[in-house]
Amino acid sequence: MVGTVSAARELGGRKALVAAAAAYAAGLGLGAVLVFGALGAIGVALNPGHVFLVAAAVLAAAAVISDLAGLRVRPQVHLQVPEPWRRSMPLPRALFLYGVLLGTGVSTFVPAAAGWALLPLSVGLASVPAVIMVGLSFAAGRALPVLLLVARGGDEGALAERPEGLRALRVLAAASLALTLVAGTARAATPVASPGGDPSAAGGDVVWQQPGVGGFLLRDGVKTQLPGTDPALGGPYVTWRSGDAVTVADAATLTPSLQVMVPGVEKLAVSDQWLAYRVRLADGSEQLRAFALADPTVTAVVSRAQPAGRLGRPSLTGEVVVYHLASTTRSRLFSFDLSTGKRRLLRSSRRVLLLNPARIGGRLLYVREGRCSQQLRLGPVDANGGGRVLYQLPALAGQDLGHEPGHTTQGEHLPCAHHPKPTSRMLWTTAISGTTAYVTVLRPGSGGQMTPSLLSIAR
Amino acid sequence: MQAGQSVFSDAVTEASSRRGFLARAGKLLLAVGSGGIVAGALRTQAAQAHHFCGHTYTTGSCPHPTGLPRVDRRGFPLRAADGKPVDDLGRPIDKAGRPVDAQGRLLRDPDGNPLPPAPRTRVCQGAAKTYGFRAYLDGSWYRCCGGHVRRLVDCCGYVSTRINGDAALTGYCYHGRHVFCVMYYDSKIKC
Repeated sequence: MVGTVSAARELGGRKALVAAAAAYAAGLGLGAVLVFGALGAIGVALNPGHVFLVAAAVLAAAAVISDLAGLRVRPQVHLQVPEPWRRSMPLPRALFLYGVLLGTGVSTFVPAAAGWALLPLSVGLASVPAVIMVGLSFAAGRALPVLLLVARGGDEGALAERPEGLRALRVLAAASLALTLVAGTARAATPVASPGGDPSAAGGDVVWQQPGVGGFLLRDGVKTQLPGTDPALGGPYVTWRSGDAVTVADAATLTPSLQVMVPGVEKLAVSDQWLAYRVRLADGSEQLRAFALADPTVTAVVSRAQPAGRLGRPSLTGEVVVYHLASTTRSRLFSFDLSTGKRRLLRSSRRVLLLNPARIGGRLLYVREGRCSQQLRLGPVDANGGGRVLYQLPALAGQDLGHEPGHTTQGEHLPCAHHPKPTSRMLWTTAISGTTAYVTVLRPGSGGQMTPSLLSIAR
Repeated sequence: MQAGQSVFSDAVTEASSRRGFLARAGKLLLAVGSGGIVAGALRTQAAQAHHFCGHTYTTGSCPHPTGLPRVDRRGFPLRAADGKPVDDLGRPIDKAGRPVDAQGRLLRDPDGNPLPPAPRTRVCQGAAKTYGFRAYLDGSWYRCCGGHVRRLVDCCGYVSTRINGDAALTGYCYHGRHVFCVMYYDSKIKC
């Protein structure tokens, strides 16, 4: 292809060369967008889920190893672009069409196993825009070596006839794919407990609540049932409750160090100095409160009383409680400093639902339930930016056609660019440690009551 | 009779500007009870309509959580298929804005608490916030759709371009305002 593009310089000078190179690059882009866009659409339609994505990632890892080791690329496509095109039609048109064929990635010789690995990964990503970006990157990867060689007046023998050239290309492809696997936003989640939810994490330990059974602690791969419900970890402590009796214990030995009666207590959070909790009041409303472990007799009010279901459970790091407050007018994430009594608005939205924050250092983990997807996000505490998406589920509701039967599509306006395949599963409570994020996924049970499952996601 | 209906409907639809039709809204409502002729006329209008019944102009729908821009009397979003109220996430909700399941039962977390409500925004106000203008509901017009009187509502603002991206029309907007997008309210009045 280097020779074909270079031929334009001989036929029409520098301008013709630029036109030929542009036509080739445009063709590559178009071919890649068509094929990868289709793969993304297939992914959206099939919504293959995390098992498929994990399998695709495993295949990709195998491709990385294969390219690094220089193993033969299998399977192979024994076809080539139609050579007569460059003689039978204007060169830019022929190069554009060559680009379209090569941009598909599967119509001619596949130089690196990474090329094959991209196909299932693209389906697994289940996102047309993301997969189109993959395709455009692939097209750029195919275009750049050719264009660079053309610009330097070189010949394609550097790639096609010298093993070092192809070897370098495969190593680059492998490195790109490995980086994508490591840094990509598509992450595989690992089940921790089902049923199980409302996690709390510290160090390598995680605790959760199993509805109707009680609290559990997972430490070094060993699961231990705790002598109470709604457990939480923080600092050197673990806490749980039995009815209204709250116990704070040493996290290492589970030896109780403090027991307090808190009428109506529901959810707990603990740090090295404080215990925060959500309490149900006599009128059915809920409120967040806290007390210092050194003086449990003095109660600090964290939030005003709210109708049941609007206040999230507290999450506590040091002296700062974070929590959500949801209403039909807006959704907000707050922090409350127990030492100063200052409340800060961390995130606010009038269009999406922001839920269940957890904080570690300067990072905030939270759930963002949007119209077109549900996301577990990790971002800076202080900025109202989106942050990174660690885990994602489809939207909670579908959409109609945008037009009535028998009417045209002219003027319709749909909320999501692609028809969402809604799910009844909902992202819920979160927890975070130095290496791992945890999220509860609720799925519908009997009588409208939701059943939780707990997932872990590497940060 | 069929020919007569057709002539009448043609006359109505051809002679009717939207403002003219509003002026005759009272006559329409009076005629609602007499059925056949008006229904015939309105069937013709529906056939001429664009993406939903009664909308005979080209301005696009206001952004709506579930697609078709059906609203309640106060402008909040309803699911077009069944008229159920929905929040900004498109979920069916109860009167307090809390999500419910397909049977209308309150969805509850594992502790038995209702799941938290999501924001619910008036459709025109939502469009205004998204596209950066102040929303006005100036006027509306009526058509018979699916056997019920439908009120078609212009979401107006001091805008020069509409949601389609081209020049905005005056429609039922006043004081120099233009139509940014459209929505509709299905009444229970039979026609």
